[in-house]
Amino acid sequence: MAQVFDRSSNALARASLVLSGLIVIALGVALNSLQRSPWVTRQGQRPDQPVPFSHKHHVEGLGLQCQYCHTSVEKSSYAGIPPTKTCMNCHSQIWTNANLLEPVRQSWATGASLQWIKVHDLPDFVYFNHEIHVNKGIGCASCHGRVDEMPLMYMQNSLQMEWCLNCHRNPAVNLRPTAEIYNMAWTGPSSDKPVWCSATGAVGPTAQQVACVETDPAASNPEMAQMSQPAELSKSAALDKAQTVADVSPAVVMPANYVKFTSQDELGHYLMKQYHIRTANELSSCEVCHR
Amino acid sequence: MNETRIGIEQAMAVEGGTQEVGAQEAQVVTAIAPAQPSKLKMTLAEVRAKLDGKSGKRYWKSLDELADTPAFQELMQEEFPRQASAGEWVDSVSRRGFLKVMGASFALAGLAGCTKQPEEPIFPYVKQPEDLVLGKPMYFATAHPFPTGAIPVLVKSDAFRPIKLEGNPEHPIAKGKSDAFTQASLLDLYDPDRSQFPRFRGEQADFSRFQQEFAKAVAASKTGDGVVFLSETITSPTLAAQWKQVQAKYPQAKLVQYEPVNNDAGRAASKAAFGDYYDTQYKLEDADVILALDADFLGGIGFPGFLPMSAAWAERHRFDKDKPMNRLYAVETMPTVTGFKAEHRLALKPSEIDQFANALAGGNSTLSNPEAQKFLSVVMEDIKKSGGRFAIVVGPSSSQAAHFAALTVNAGLGAVGKTVFYTETVASIPSEHVSDLKALVADMNAGKVEWLVMLGVNPLYNAPVDLNFEDAFNKVPHRVHLGSHVDETGFYSTWHINKSHYLESWTDARAYDGTISIVQPMIEPLYGGKSAHDVLQTLIDPQVSAYQLVLANAKTYIKAPGGDTAKTVAANVPAPAATGAGNSAAADAAARAALGVARATTPFEMAWRKALHDGWVADTAFVPKTLGAPKGGVTTPASAGSGIEISFRPDPSLYDGRYGNNGWLQELPKQVTNMSWDNAALMNMDLMGKLGIEENEAIELTLNGRKIITPVLMAPGHPNDAVTVHLGLGRRAECGRVGAGVGFNAYALRTSGQPLSAGGLMIARGKGSYDLCVTKVHNIEHRGAFAQRDLEHPEFDTQGTYSLAGHEAMERSIIRYATYEEAMKNPDFAHLGTKDSNDTLVNKVGYNPQGEAVPHDDSFYPDNWRYDHVMEVAAGKVLQNKWGMSIDLNSCVGCNACIVSCYAENNIAVVGREQVKIGRIMQWMRIDTYFEGDLHAPIAHFQPMLCQHCESAGCEQVCPVGATVHTPEGINTMVYNRCVGTRYCSNNCPYKVRRFNFLLYSDYDTESLKLMRNPDVTVRSRGVMEKCSYCIQRIEAVKIEADKNNRAIADGEILTACQQACPTDAIVFGNLNDPKSRVVKRKAEERDYQVLADLNYRPRTTYTAGVINPNAELA
Repeated sequence: MAQVFDRSSNALARASLVLSGLIVIALGVALNSLQRSPWVTRQGQRPDQPVPFSHKHHVEGLGLQCQYCHTSVEKSSYAGIPPTKTCMNCHSQIWTNANLLEPVRQSWATGASLQWIKVHDLPDFVYFNHEIHVNKGIGCASCHGRVDEMPLMYMQNSLQMEWCLNCHRNPAVNLRPTAEIYNMAWTGPSSDKPVWCSATGAVGPTAQQVACVETDPAASNPEMAQMSQPAELSKSAALDKAQTVADVSPAVVMPANYVKFTSQDELGHYLMKQYHIRTANELSSCEVCHR
Repeated sequence: MNETRIGIEQAMAVEGGTQEVGAQEAQVVTAIAPAQPSKLKMTLAEVRAKLDGKSGKRYWKSLDELADTPAFQELMQEEFPRQASAGEWVDSVSRRGFLKVMGASFALAGLAGCTKQPEEPIFPYVKQPEDLVLGKPMYFATAHPFPTGAIPVLVKSDAFRPIKLEGNPEHPIAKGKSDAFTQASLLDLYDPDRSQFPRFRGEQADFSRFQQEFAKAVAASKTGDGVVFLSETITSPTLAAQWKQVQAKYPQAKLVQYEPVNNDAGRAASKAAFGDYYDTQYKLEDADVILALDADFLGGIGFPGFLPMSAAWAERHRFDKDKPMNRLYAVETMPTVTGFKAEHRLALKPSEIDQFANALAGGNSTLSNPEAQKFLSVVMEDIKKSGGRFAIVVGPSSSQAAHFAALTVNAGLGAVGKTVFYTETVASIPSEHVSDLKALVADMNAGKVEWLVMLGVNPLYNAPVDLNFEDAFNKVPHRVHLGSHVDETGFYSTWHINKSHYLESWTDARAYDGTISIVQPMIEPLYGGKSAHDVLQTLIDPQVSAYQLVLANAKTYIKAPGGDTAKTVAANVPAPAATGAGNSAAADAAARAALGVARATTPFEMAWRKALHDGWVADTAFVPKTLGAPKGGVTTPASAGSGIEISFRPDPSLYDGRYGNNGWLQELPKQVTNMSWDNAALMNMDLMGKLGIEENEAIELTLNGRKIITPVLMAPGHPNDAVTVHLGLGRRAECGRVGAGVGFNAYALRTSGQPLSAGGLMIARGKGSYDLCVTKVHNIEHRGAFAQRDLEHPEFDTQGTYSLAGHEAMERSIIRYATYEEAMKNPDFAHLGTKDSNDTLVNKVGYNPQGEAVPHDDSFYPDNWRYDHVMEVAAGKVLQNKWGMSIDLNSCVGCNACIVSCYAENNIAVVGREQVKIGRIMQWMRIDTYFEGDLHAPIAHFQPMLCQHCESAGCEQVCPVGATVHTPEGINTMVYNRCVGTRYCSNNCPYKVRRFNFLLYSDYDTESLKLMRNPDVTVRSRGVMEKCSYCIQRIEAVKIEADKNNRAIADGEILTACQQACPTDAIVFGNLNDPKSRVVKRKAEERDYQVLADLNYRPRTTYTAGVINPNAELA
């Protein structure tokens, strides 16, 4: 009886072995990229919201400060979603008949909450805390991206654990002077645009530790060159004694010894020291986020 | 109700219902030990022989351990006595189905991480409350009303949901401490079985309809004839004032107060001695000698003044070379924590205690019992030597004779005015409960009662059985029940009104020292409940709310600064604002607007706000009264004790049964006996031997012809010929899903004449067996004994494979203590071991004397971390945090407050009786009770055991997935998400402090329980290991606050939940790198030791060896 398999089948068998190996690898790679894909993380997706609220319009266009709505960002783990009342502060005066705002007026009239969809949604076993990040020199845009350029809110970053750890293992890449926390356009120092910083020697909250300027303090009058101060918006809510970024004017003491920084890395390491940022060991320890 | 439903059959029948989670189908009723009860044949002589044969100190925890049966040996070999079998899984599947599912699961294992989160909505406020910072808890002061005096509390409120109760740190008696009942009352608020609406004949009805009917009927009677209020003890001045108003309007209306656990004996004694009712307050900080006459003042708030008394006792019981220690004597029947913390404990049956008390009062009479006689003379001598710095303490469980003795001797030998003070009663309207109830039942039987309005009481369950309350009850045409549950009484009442929890309502209450606290609501009533104020107000003016009543009445006791305008409004209760108001809610809002939102203007408003803020009203404590000598001839005849006597005691965990549906308290291992989800006839070995019964055997108790069936448990140190039963269990199905059918109902034997104890008990055998749920055997540190035994008689370890060599483990010095003299002579006693007559060390453990810590460099393992990293904070340089804990065994009284506090703080699940029985209780901490010495008069040592946070932890080394890891601050932390449930860690933990979720114990479905959970702690799911975290969420919260401000964490800024609750300050937590911290000071003491130190796990939790102060003459 003739052989069932031709000689050429040997090659086929070998090829199929290799192929199945490749398939397994491909599957692994596919699963890996699926896991990190926006389909799973919802990165970049804009869910349907009851009102197509535009951060671009309100922040960039109108110049609203972040804390006008997210009032507890410096004082609590939770930044806060504004109550309907905050919307109505203005929208009882302007755009009072806009169709888009009907759900807001409805909520105001009936007392039922507006039902937003959470865009930045961490798993429930992650205990993220806004106040410590904001008070230690992590700007809003570091995690949330250029919110001022987002007509509809979406998640800029994956918010996956590896992304968190990237910074917790090396916070220097993202640290900025506390006065720049709410500055969406802050890009960090570069050789074109250096930043001069100096320790104030002040005792107390982080916000008082360092003063930074963007023009050479040796060349011009440093007091004039000071960066714009964030408005002191949330003072009335500060029932506890803890002082936060906005409560403190960074220029209480005008220091003399400015250091010039031309890269984010240099500035980051300087600020890590000045702001007493914990070591990478401590920041990436499990209990920091999981309890 | 009917006796046939009581006892074993009932308890067995509804066992399935006792579980909180949906494991009802579980059919794995397995005993832990003994596997077959008949194998435990251990006579008293044998036990004694076993104990006598040991040299040095020998500790034991249970009879099983002493008996050392094969079944017990078997238990010792297993890490967790039984594995979870597929049959008990919530979603039980067949083996085939299981394989199919698992096959698919393995294939998709890589996809598990790709779970897509569902979209979550956000519901922002429409108008956010001004002071609310979401994510930050707020704290409000209020008080937990309790018959023996309110416990002032500070409520942690997360977005206006109460999630944790702590003692009010500013209150003079609480000082931040609390107790098990107070901690557990949080769960009562969220109990899903609470009554949710008023009912008329079982059908949902409106409260307003009740108001109309009741008011109309009473108005028609003109004088209030036939209207009786049956209330629990009234400690609220406002409620008392309200009652006075009702009485003024309807003079024939009656008020009867009834608590099954009351202080009638004390009341009667006080009346006879002084002609009126007075309470006794003790200042134990000034007492060198304390004699507790059946008074369990270290047991819990069932004893009036528990918080200040236990704190004062512990303060004076701390060992300090420059300070004399106090000495506690206890005479009691049921072994209690007070008895076991006492230097000398005399176990007497109730009639003998009366004789003892009479002899004490009489001065020189003699007792037939030589042991008691010697005890008495030694105590009297000690008392006389103290020069008035002594106290004879009596309480609600003490007999009238004991109360007389205390009155006489305290006055006669000069303690009154030094350590003992008489004051007005905490109860606003003091009365003798049982005699009043008797009179009421007579009236009911005579048809004189038209309306019986029961305010928070449950007499159908707990009235004395000889009164036949149910028959009388059925003769009353209108029976109104105000209660949190549709309980035994509520079910049979014509009207049931759902009662609001104290965290939902306005009232006020007096604490032990008389201080008034305003009880303010923390949350809108979950089910629109009503309070006793609302019911009484029906007869006065239904428009006035409880808030207005309290506010108006507060004017009588809040002294406004800068003028005594307050006094003038006395008793004029209705607030002026309310008179013209349309409805009470509007008036309420108006009154609130006047006080709450607007700036306080008048001195009273400021004082009122201060009272609300502080949680108590200044200058309302009682002023001690000078009463002179108690009237002579106060000795009472000793109660006729014949044959076997029975003693009735409130349950240490459930009190009189009011906490029956509280899972935390049901599961809490009871003090001394460590029974959970059960009660038993407690007796000693002698009586068991005489009757030929064994533990876990069911017997029939007959008293005056009434019978109940109960299981038997040996209580070490119980007097002979006496049986103690605990009240408060055996609740019927109406109790709710947790408490229904748990245990037996001891009220079925309790009569009005003999509420504390009775003689003539008959015991009949042969009622089958009942496997009690005792947690003692779950965590046996004496595995060493097993290894030793096996070394001598190879039975299990025939291969010689056990790593634990017997010579290392025979005695591991887990408990260390010394007498005051020994400690003075040799302050380092905790580290010296025991020496025999030749001055050589006996019981040498491991390679070091008495299990001492190994020098740091002797380890194979490199250090996980260094803990000397220097942190720069604005104030300078400090070493990093290094957390540690110290527990003072001298102060721990075993009251269980810490365990319940841990339940609330850490979202610990309740697992139910069956699961507890097979060793799966989830409590992160336990209190081990070690007995020492003879069964008749053992010494006991309490040792809280929780994760020791070893620096070189065995659990971490064996975890295959890194789910338990060490933090840079030295905490052994659990990462729940990584845990795959191998349980290797628990196997390798020598302290046995890890808890595994064998099944889905956390309740994910019940809505009301979701409100209660601590939002900062993960709710653990099935298959996950968990354990004490040193309250890591509290540490992180404080760390963030400190880091924000660039400062070091101050000592005492972080309190663990157990530490915060501990009434005696036994637990101290802090930074070991801070030389000024309390924990460092404690650990620097010579008496500080590590448990199982020779294992070189370097536990961060250490213990301070106890020092006792015995009297040489009784040694």
